[in-house]
Amino acid sequence: MSDFETVFSPIVFLDLALLTMLFLVAIAMLRSRHLFGVVMLSGIYSLLSAAFFVSLDAVDVAFTEAAVGAGISTVLMLSGMLLTVRREKPKTPGRAPVAMLAVLATGAALIYATIDMPAFGDPNAPANSAIGQQYVERTASEIPMPNIVTAVLASYRGFDTMGETMVIFTAGVAVMLLLGVGSARGGRRVSDIDAKETSDEGKGE
Amino acid sequence: MNLIAQLPVLPIIIPIVAAPITLLLPKGRVPHLWACLFSWLTFAACIALFAEVSSTGPISYHLGDWAPPIGIEYYIDLANALVLLLVSGIAAVVFPYAYRSVQLEVDERQTPLFYGALLICMTGLLGVTITGDAFNVFVFLEISSLSGYALIAMGARRDRRALTAAFNYLVMGTIGATFFVIGLGLLYQATGTLNMADLADRLIGQDNRMVEAGFAFILVGMGLKLAMFPMHLWLPNAYTYAPSAVTAFMAATATKVAVYVIIRFIFSVFNFDFAFIGAAFTYVLLPLGLAGMFVASFVALFQEDVKRMLAYSSVAQIGYMLLGLSFATVEGLTATLVHIFNHALMKGALFMAVGCVVLRAGSHSIYAFAGLSKRMPVTTWAFLISGLSLIGVPLTVGFISKWYLLQAAFEAGHWYAGFLIVASSLIALAYVGRVAEVMLLREPAEDGKYAMPKEEAPLSMLIPMWVLVAANIYFGVRTDLTGGIAQRAAETLMSMAGGAP
Amino acid sequence: MDDWLTFILERYNYWIVIMLMMTGLYIVFARGNLVKKIVGLNIFQTSVFIYYITIGKIVDGTAPIYMGGELEAASHHGGKEAGGAGHGAEAAAHDAAAAGEAVHAKIDNSALDHGQELKDALKHAPAPEEGGSLHELPDAGDKIANAMGDHLGKTPPADASGFDVGSAAGGAHDAAGNAAGGVGDGAADALHGAMDAVVYTNPLPHVLILTAIVVGVATTAVGLALAVRIREAYGTIEEDELEAADEIAEFGHAAGERAQAEAGAGA
Repeated sequence: MSDFETVFSPIVFLDLALLTMLFLVAIAMLRSRHLFGVVMLSGIYSLLSAAFFVSLDAVDVAFTEAAVGAGISTVLMLSGMLLTVRREKPKTPGRAPVAMLAVLATGAALIYATIDMPAFGDPNAPANSAIGQQYVERTASEIPMPNIVTAVLASYRGFDTMGETMVIFTAGVAVMLLLGVGSARGGRRVSDIDAKETSDEGKGE
Repeated sequence: MNLIAQLPVLPIIIPIVAAPITLLLPKGRVPHLWACLFSWLTFAACIALFAEVSSTGPISYHLGDWAPPIGIEYYIDLANALVLLLVSGIAAVVFPYAYRSVQLEVDERQTPLFYGALLICMTGLLGVTITGDAFNVFVFLEISSLSGYALIAMGARRDRRALTAAFNYLVMGTIGATFFVIGLGLLYQATGTLNMADLADRLIGQDNRMVEAGFAFILVGMGLKLAMFPMHLWLPNAYTYAPSAVTAFMAATATKVAVYVIIRFIFSVFNFDFAFIGAAFTYVLLPLGLAGMFVASFVALFQEDVKRMLAYSSVAQIGYMLLGLSFATVEGLTATLVHIFNHALMKGALFMAVGCVVLRAGSHSIYAFAGLSKRMPVTTWAFLISGLSLIGVPLTVGFISKWYLLQAAFEAGHWYAGFLIVASSLIALAYVGRVAEVMLLREPAEDGKYAMPKEEAPLSMLIPMWVLVAANIYFGVRTDLTGGIAQRAAETLMSMAGGAP
Repeated sequence: MDDWLTFILERYNYWIVIMLMMTGLYIVFARGNLVKKIVGLNIFQTSVFIYYITIGKIVDGTAPIYMGGELEAASHHGGKEAGGAGHGAEAAAHDAAAAGEAVHAKIDNSALDHGQELKDALKHAPAPEEGGSLHELPDAGDKIANAMGDHLGKTPPADASGFDVGSAAGGAHDAAGNAAGGVGDGAADALHGAMDAVVYTNPLPHVLILTAIVVGVATTAVGLALAVRIREAYGTIEEDELEAADEIAEFGHAAGERAQAEAGAGA
């Protein structure tokens, strides 16, 4: 491998622009209380991240993120929103400091880790020189397929992909259990009789 | 095809094939029988695998015949063979038990989906345990969690709070899983590999901030999944409002598997050369384990709801497991592995007994337990014996756990920890004693909400429950079985990690 | 000063991604609306995906799809070498057969005919076609070895020297296998040549994230389904109001109303 040195290249501006837009969208989502707007922004967030994936050479991921993240997820969230409420109520301020503390701790741990990270885009970084390059080298002769990602996905790490389909199946079963026939929806809504009874008994004691 | 050569993959393949078919079956009895059959087949495969591992040593199975680290590997040694045996064994007992309880608590039209989800949950837990690939852990963890959320929410038919409990669990569980993924990403960035054995090799000498942060994220992520104090807040509600069979299954297996993942990462992936491992033992696992033991036990003391009391007790028991781990000795690790196994036996039996009471009295409030010995003597005694086991009375498995733990504490020089273990057992005595007093000495309610007929639970529930109670006593007398295996497993793990820190 | 600029250039990507993760996590923790929490989880997870993909990026690299003719190189090169390998295997097998013949000549003259059969079998064994799959080569070796095995089976009970024949058959197999290995190496060399021209970005993080995206969407679906059920059961999806309702269930109406009043005070 050749020696690597980070140089300032114009692509930095593209990356910075995309990342800044992502950050602004995230902040807008945090602040907005119109759930419709939030859901739309989350679609935009996914689309922007798909664009960023292209800039990072991850075309398969960009494709999937655009289809699944910006497409299916947004549809799911839209229907979820339509079946519940359109507007978020203002929050009691009590919990924000605790949340901020947890988030800052997480962020600090990650920033701490970046100090020792190999430079962005370094071909000699362990992550890129170890197993990753082996896939690039072996796929051509072992699995005659031009797309290395597909080869790894379907063959070398095919078992993960089987697990992934199992996850989708599980989600299907879970949603059917929650919203399907016999889930105590509609005419047979969940009653809180049991809950009220517990409370009565609590007072009786 | 040689079946023995394919044995390691059978515990996953059997239920993964059976689960989708469950959905196609007609509602009623058939899905239950189908699920039972396949849980037993899985159990049989796990027994065979365990026998194979304990006679020939660790097995490495290459999925798709791609040698690791290029492909995904199943790596089975004594430690995870024991956990596999435990998960599939509990499933083999809970599945038959579930029928009558589910009949009461779940809509009949949903039974195929329910048993399908239960099988998927078991598959996920087994997959997490068996794999030797770090990312594969995440995939199967999510399989078990997603089905778990839905199963817990099924309790909504009796109490709508099951829904909020499931939602909280979903949020906490997903954050935990994502933290785990971040941790893996950091480790991947430092090493470039995902296979656990390969990770261990490449981590040697890599004492940098990425590895430190990676370890922290994996610990916190798994801590959320296993309800490590103080990240346990999702657990009590989830276990209280879930259907009885789901609680019995998840309480006995889900948290144990997460503890196992932590053990696997600490001992097989990281090694003791890292200073931060020692620091994590001394400053995180030891104090949090002790705090969990006391705070959760103390909270359990004041619960009006027996199921919730047992759920808090579970958080306390996880404290024992972390405590054993934190000694970083063979004895401590043995104690943890023994307790993983034993706690599953006692909590499984206890939650099953509560399920029997729910079936007859319709409630798991402590008031429903009044005079239970006169109404349901067989269930009462099952509860009492497993309760004694929970406290740690001799001749039960609970005693063995405490014995190993005390021994480990004294050998590690933490004599105060030994003292605290005894003290927390006394709190357990208090909260189990409270229920025992109500069951044995109070008069049963003649009328009103908690009045119930003098009728035992059906045999389909009593037999599985008493199988677990008998296991509580059998493994409490034959101490060499679990203790010996756990000791061998602990020695292997410890040698992988490069000895004491 | 220059060092600092390099340090920042090497890491600014990670820092912004970490900020995105933190925003997502903050939405989950601090916002009370359940749908909003799910949206927050989504942002958090997507940011982790971006982090993974950032790890795999190689500067001046390109998407991991072969474009420098690596596949052709692999098959072409492999094909040519495979021919040679086939010859090598044949030669080895021929030697083995000769050894076998020598042994058999001692036992039975008719063995010669069998030896001839074996040679015929070798000739008919599928010679790797130009540009054909490499996987066939070990198969060819196996066929040769099998043919020899059959041949051995046909010979009358052999004495100790039969072992030589057996090992000769094994040798034929090994030779074929080695030749195949050589092809693999040759192909890899050719690939190296082709790849000096094109740098491919690390494919492994992409694969992991493809799996993780699907897992994320599955979680979103289940979470939203739960939110819908909660809305039906409670009439709200605001965490404060849900907690107040549960408070009523647990401790009676007085405590619940107090909690509700508190929730209202925040509004």
